[in-house]
Amino acid sequence: MDQVWLRGEAGEPSVSVREVHDALSDSRDLAYTTVMTVMGRLANAGLLVKARSGRAYLYAAAGSREELTASTMLGHLHGMAPEDRRSAMLHFLGDATPEEIADLKAALAEVESRQADRSPRTP
Amino acid sequence: MARREGFRRAPRAALVVWQAVALSAVVSGLAAAPLAVAVLTGRRAPGATWAAVAALALSAMVLVRLLWSGHVVGTRLRAARREHRLLVDALGEAVDDEVRVLAHPTPTAYCLPGLRRRVVLTEGTLRTLPPDQLAAVLAHERAHLRERHDLVLEFFVVLHRSAPRWLRSSAALREVRLIIEVLADRAARHATGPVPLARALVALAGSTHPETALAVTADPSATRARMALLAQDEAPARLAAGMYAFAAAVLAAPGVVLALALGSMGA
Repeated sequence: MDQVWLRGEAGEPSVSVREVHDALSDSRDLAYTTVMTVMGRLANAGLLVKARSGRAYLYAAAGSREELTASTMLGHLHGMAPEDRRSAMLHFLGDATPEEIADLKAALAEVESRQADRSPRTP
Repeated sequence: MARREGFRRAPRAALVVWQAVALSAVVSGLAAAPLAVAVLTGRRAPGATWAAVAALALSAMVLVRLLWSGHVVGTRLRAARREHRLLVDALGEAVDDEVRVLAHPTPTAYCLPGLRRRVVLTEGTLRTLPPDQLAAVLAHERAHLRERHDLVLEFFVVLHRSAPRWLRSSAALREVRLIIEVLADRAARHATGPVPLARALVALAGSTHPETALAVTADPSATRARMALLAQDEAPARLAAGMYAFAAAVLAAPGVVLALALGSMGA
């Protein structure tokens, strides 16, 4: 994705697998087929747009990093059943209403004061 | 047992008890019908063979349902994680082997369990949390991955799905989820102390929005319970020991019942 975005900025919105593979070969030892497979999967996931150009395929980014992060993650997560979403990933916490947040802040004060009682020298 | 909140103070023991209860229930469910038939009918009673066949068929159905549920849940979860990992690796910045940062303003943090695990943060999280709170969140997520809480949860989800609706307990599943979070909180507390973690909980709770993709509708009282537990000391060793003993008894129970039943048949 970085390669595709970089080239997009440089005025080359559509790239071929060959170009990406060559650019990545400098730093990593990747097979051409690997790059091809991954770019295909990224296209299936909606991050790249695939277009035919003669006998080859060209890929373009479907959006900027920020746009795609917002839209694709949204689509992917909302496509999952809520139960699956909560089992596939383990979130740090869920939503909270303003009342709950006030509640939590009060509880935080208790945690902080208990800690202060234990170690008065620690801020 | 889901209502006895005191057990959360010994979360690891509580999780073991829940697993023992679930496992025992499964074993009992599988053995119940054949055993009942064997005990109630003598070997010479008319129709005993047919009853035995029917009972075994029932047990086989339960087993098939369990295995099928395991397969469906397992493949679905892994496929979702694989897809999600592709997105996270493609769209996120790699901080190290595991940690990815997404270009999203809403602060959130989660982990993607599995063999190729990830901890996912957003730029919003990095902007909102000071270093010590960030360290607490990372310690919490890494604990989930290290201790394979995803496998424990998967076990319970599979059982939950396999059970007929009237036998399911959403309260039990919610409690297990909470205990898993408390276990990860314990690890974070061990690493950074309770205050950074507690502050991180408040900071992130105040920043999520229901409409955002990355927020998850969870049990609202769960965060409150986690905060309360942070303010409490570790449970006395007696409590944990008692719970482990209870778990052992629960696991042994089906075997004891079986032995008694077979013994009464022989007498």
